[in-house]
This record gives sequence, structure tokens and C-alpha cells, in this order.
Amino acid sequence: MWCKTTARDRFWQRFVACAVATANAIGLESRAAADPLRLRADALAEAEGTSSPAGLVVLQGEDAMRPWVAAEALVWTGDRGGTPSLTGDLLVLTLRLREPHGYAEARAGRFVLATGAVHPVQIDGAHVIARAPWGSTVETFGGLPVVPRFGARSFDWLAGGRVAQTVGSTLALGVSYVQRREDGEISNEEVGVDAAMAPVRWLDVAAFGAYDVMSPGLAEGRASAAVRSSDWRLELFGSHLSPGRLLPATSLFSVLGDLPSHTVGATARWRAAPRLDLLASGAGQDVAGGLGGNGWLRAMLRLDDQGNGSLGLEARRVDLPGAQWTGVRAISAIPLGKRFRYSSEIEIVAPDHPDGRGVAWPWGLSAVSWRTDDGWELAGALEASATPLHRYETDALVRLSCALERPSQNPPGRGPIAASR
Amino acid sequence: MKTRLSVLVVLAVALAACASVLGLRHESSSHPFEHRAHMLKGINCVECHGGMALAGDEGPLHLPTDADCRHCHQKPHDVRSCVQCHGEPYVRQAAELARAQLRFEHSRHMSAVNGDCVRCHTEVAEARPQTVLPKMATCFGCHEHREQWTLRDCDGCHVDLPTEGTLPDDHLVHDGDFVREHGVRAASARDLCASCHTDRQCASCHGEGTVPALPWKLALGDVSLSGLHRAGFAARHADEARADPGLCTTCHTESSCIDCHTRENVAGPTTNSPHPPGWANGQHGEQARIDPSSCAACHGGAGEQLCVGCHRVGGPGGNPHGPGFASRKDEHHDRPCRLCHGVGQ
Repeated sequence: MWCKTTARDRFWQRFVACAVATANAIGLESRAAADPLRLRADALAEAEGTSSPAGLVVLQGEDAMRPWVAAEALVWTGDRGGTPSLTGDLLVLTLRLREPHGYAEARAGRFVLATGAVHPVQIDGAHVIARAPWGSTVETFGGLPVVPRFGARSFDWLAGGRVAQTVGSTLALGVSYVQRREDGEISNEEVGVDAAMAPVRWLDVAAFGAYDVMSPGLAEGRASAAVRSSDWRLELFGSHLSPGRLLPATSLFSVLGDLPSHTVGATARWRAAPRLDLLASGAGQDVAGGLGGNGWLRAMLRLDDQGNGSLGLEARRVDLPGAQWTGVRAISAIPLGKRFRYSSEIEIVAPDHPDGRGVAWPWGLSAVSWRTDDGWELAGALEASATPLHRYETDALVRLSCALERPSQNPPGRGPIAASR
Repeated sequence: MKTRLSVLVVLAVALAACASVLGLRHESSSHPFEHRAHMLKGINCVECHGGMALAGDEGPLHLPTDADCRHCHQKPHDVRSCVQCHGEPYVRQAAELARAQLRFEHSRHMSAVNGDCVRCHTEVAEARPQTVLPKMATCFGCHEHREQWTLRDCDGCHVDLPTEGTLPDDHLVHDGDFVREHGVRAASARDLCASCHTDRQCASCHGEGTVPALPWKLALGDVSLSGLHRAGFAARHADEARADPGLCTTCHTESSCIDCHTRENVAGPTTNSPHPPGWANGQHGEQARIDPSSCAACHGGAGEQLCVGCHRVGGPGGNPHGPGFASRKDEHHDRPCRLCHGVGQ
């Protein structure tokens, strides 16, 4: 164990550089003011963070007069740690086209692909959906799995599709297929089935399963069934995970065999009072033959009817071979007038078997934010913790955000927002 | 006796305070408008909400003014405006938002329900309604909208659903442990999720392929008990991973661990082995089968040769394939089989 040093020398220099970049990005707004546009920019600096300063720029454009086209970009910029200068990367860059009545939809660019039983994967590619009025849906997608900073890729690609049938909002059934290759070799080939059912308002059921074709067997399966009323909700859930099949088939570690893990549990939520929610969750687990479980209790109290302020408390226990710990966590969010907000989070985790990692791992964060009416927000926080790696660690975080939004122009037939009467 | 009385007083004050905090007792001077009382008097809604029968998709909301109230209540009991106490401000705000966010014409509906407003505004008959706006399920009671639902065509009623940011309260409920639950819920309806959620919201967690840090710390003042990587996750992440083998691969690639550990200088070519003494001759095989992604995190790629050295065909490590192993790969051509089996072995 050792203690981390204090703030890095270049902290403020880099933060200012990031803030300047943010301000430059915001400058785009005035040039694009003629179009409906949303722009948000965040700059985050950490005294100790290995990826600080960092910034996010969100750009979203859509046109109420032409709702069939929309574009969105999410750009990350910052210090990657170890690199000599600030760099950037794209998280999202999509162009979405939509047939005005919804019969077809396409998006192209960089996005997270997730549909049916296909595992979410970030790709540079395209995704097309065609729908029929009687509820049939055909999807097809393809592209290149994303590599950081547009790194080199040799014959890596992913392609697949999904066919589904829905019956109103009552029932949906889908079958999906995906094949992924790395260096030209198949790294993942799966057939999936998904289903969702909501026969009555108080009951909904959903499930999916992904079958590995390369190493025949169920790679992942999940199911959830929930019943609810206005004051309570009870969910039963179960899952099957085969870690060996979730790895790329090109990995040496994918051939070690199949020791799947299974989980069965329930989560309940009860609105005990208009502002007080109580939640409880418990699950039994079978991890490769080792039995155990986990559970938590949670209470959330809203300090006002609108939920602007809140207090929360959670107790959690995990008890599995190799992972046994108990944790307590508390949060608070308190509005201080119209523009200021104070928030804090505290957590203490105690492992059953410290094994030299410390008897408890406390963590805390205390933040104050200040927001203006014209979209600017400045927030500062102090974070302190003790971890298995560090006896103590402190960090200062500063975030500068700006959200600029030009309201969509009212389409024909719509007037301005009416007065209160 | 005095002590008991003091205790009772303190308890009563504490209970009253609790009732306020829990929302059981309203603190503000305003209270829900007495719709129920007016209904029981047989007063037609349009007597106060004048012009509603002809209201279109734009224009005023036709909420009653003080003059409308004084039409009947000719001797007001207070000099203040009626709406300062009668009617919750958020109910008016909800009506304003609905005007801006929804396409709706009262004129077309009033005739269809023969002027029976309560048929849609069911909650006005309750003593303390949370809202007087009809729920979407009420709309679906007459308008099936099956085709619009199927085609994800929400624009007929919703002006701009992603911007609206309204949490649905009677369909697609985001409740309970939604972070765990959302995957299975979204599997059959990813495009339905996309009617409200944009790509960047998915990428904020599932976009790990590009950036070294999840942007959750940007929300440093937005505290929440839900979420996967909040609070002291860095301290407990190894235990979390062991508790649910394979779960991490839902978002992370097998190289994620070594990338971060190398940056943090806790693993990599210049650090000592994190394994306990005797690991190579002990339980490493069983542990590897339980969570092979943990091994791949450090020993993937070129690091696989460490395993091949012992476990190649004829090597001292023996057959590494565990129970349940089955594969359609060609052992002489497909990677990773050929690493150990090689050509001609």
C-alpha cells in the first residue's frame, strides 16, 4: 500500500485548455443558430484522475419540419493517460433517416448496436429496420466493431439480422442471428430468441436467449416477470451466463469448457408513503457449482413533491465463494436556493476476508453545483477513499458544463406555448 | 405526569414532522382543486372551463379565472386570487406542458364523449388527485393505435418524444432495479426504447470501446443509488466481477482490464504477479474455467503462449478442456485450436 501524491502540476493548465476547447465548441451554436439544434459541452478535470481532463461534446440536430432526418454526435476529448497531449474520440456519430410513417428506419455511422439477443456492441456501420402494419419487423445490420481512435482493423466485421412479429403492445417474438469475425476468422456466431408479453396492464414478462453456434450451447439467457400496482411492484428474474461462450471464439480461453453461472431472484418496490420508496432485492446464485447469493435493501426519501431533493440509504450483502462482503451506502441531494445544489455520497464496504487489502474500503464524495438560467453549470467535488491499492486517496473534481438548446420550430398547426390560462 | 405529557407532545411534534417529510401532509397553502365537490353539485365542467368544447390544438388552456369563480362565489372569503390556494401549481404546469408536448384537440373529443369530461379525466372524481390529466392507457381505451405502436410512430400525439423526457407511468415502466432489468426489457423492443432514448444514452455505458473512462463522473452532483459503477466501485470491482463471472463482458472487451491496470500500474510487464504462491500448480485451471475472461484480461493475445507452453498437445500441463466443452472448430486450422494442436499433430 502507498499514498498517492497531490494534484498533478498540469492540472489547471489542462483544465483551462479543455474549457477553452469547450467554449470553442459552444461557439458553433451561434453559427448554427438558424437550425433547430441542441448542443451540450462538459469539461471535467480531476486532480488525480488518469484520464483527466476530459470533455464531452454532445451535438444533436433535428428538424420538426422534416422529422424524418436527425443527426447526433457525442465526442470525447481528453487526456488518455500516458499520451503527451490531449486527444479525442468519437462515441457516437449517427445519421438517422426515418420513413415518415415508420415503415422503415435506417441509421448509419458509429453507434451501439443492440437488438434482440445480440450483445451490445459499438460499431461503425449501418442498421436498417423495415416494419409492416401487421406487426412484422425485419432488421439487418453490419459494420466494423469499433477500435479506439480508428485503430487498424484487419478483416474484422460483424453482420446479422432479426425477424420479429408483434401483436399490438401485447406480444413480441423475435429471432436474431449475428456473426462476427476477427482477422477473417469467426469469433462469434449466435442465434438468439427474444420474447416480451404484457397481456394485462399489471403484468409484463420478457426473456431472451443466445445460443452459441461455434461451441454449441446456451451462451446467455435472461428472463424477467413483473407484476405491479400503483404502490408496489414485484419482479422475478433469472439468468444463465456461460463465460466461456461470451468470450470471442478466437480466444484461447474460450476452449476451457462450460461452467455456467445461474441466478434466480426477486426485487420488490413499495411506495410506503408519497415520498418514501422502499426496495428489496435478493438472489440465489450458482457460480460453477458454488452456491451463494446477494441481496440489498434500499430506501429513497424525496424531500419535496417534485423530487428535487432526496435522501437514500442502501445496505448490501454479497456472499459467494471468493466474493464475500457487506456494504452500506448513503446519498443526499439538497437544493440550496434556486441555483445551488449540494450532494454527497458515502459508502463503506467491508470484505469478509481482507487478505491484506484493508478491513474496510470507505469512499465519499461531496459536491456543490451552481446553475445559471442560460444553461451554464459549474460543479466542484471532493472525493476521498481507501482502496485495496491505496491507504488513502483524495481527488478534486471540477466540471464546467453548458447546454444550449434551440427549441424545435413549431410544425404547422402548432402555436406557441399558451399562457397558464 | 408532567414528564409523560412532555413525551406525548414531543411524539406528536415528531409525528407531524414525519408526516410532512413523508409527504403524508401538505405543507403549502395550496391544495388540490375541489373538482369532486363541484361535480357533486352537478356543475358542468364547461361552466368553469368555458370554451373548452371548441378548443383546438393551440390557444389558451381555458383554466378558470377569479371572475369565473365569482360568478357563483359572489362573496369570496379571501382577497387573494383563488388559484393561490385552490389548485396545486404543478397541476397547472402539467397542463401547460401537455399543451406544448402533445397534439390534442378538445373540440374533436367533446362530441365523441357527449360532453362527459370524466370519461377521460377520471381522476377529478378522486378527493386528492395527483394529476387531472388522462393517462395514456385511457387514450388507448378508445384509440387502439395498434398500427402506430407497431410502426413506432408516436408523432401523431407526441410533438417530440425524446425532448419531452417524460417517464411513462403506465407502460414501459422504468422501475425497481432497472439497470439490471433494462437489457432483457429492451431485447424485444430496442426500437421502442429509441423512440425516447438517443444513441448517446446507450453509448454512455456501452461505448467502452472508444474511451478509457466512462463519463459517469461527469454527473458528479447527480447522486443515485442505482447504477453499476458508482461510489467506491474501483475498490470492490474485483469482488463484483467474481460474484457474476462473465457479466463484465456485457460491456467490456477482454483487454479492458489490462489497459486500465497498466495505466494504474497495478499489473503489466513491470509489476509482480498478482497470483498467490503455487498458483500454477494449484487451482488456476478451475478458476480459469469459472471465469475465463479474467485470464484473457491479462493473458490474451500474445500472452496466450504462456498457457500453450504447458497445455499444448503432449505438454506437461495436460488437457485443458473442461467438462461441457464442445466445439465445431477445426482443430488444425481454427485459432485457438491450432495454437496447441498445430498442423499435423
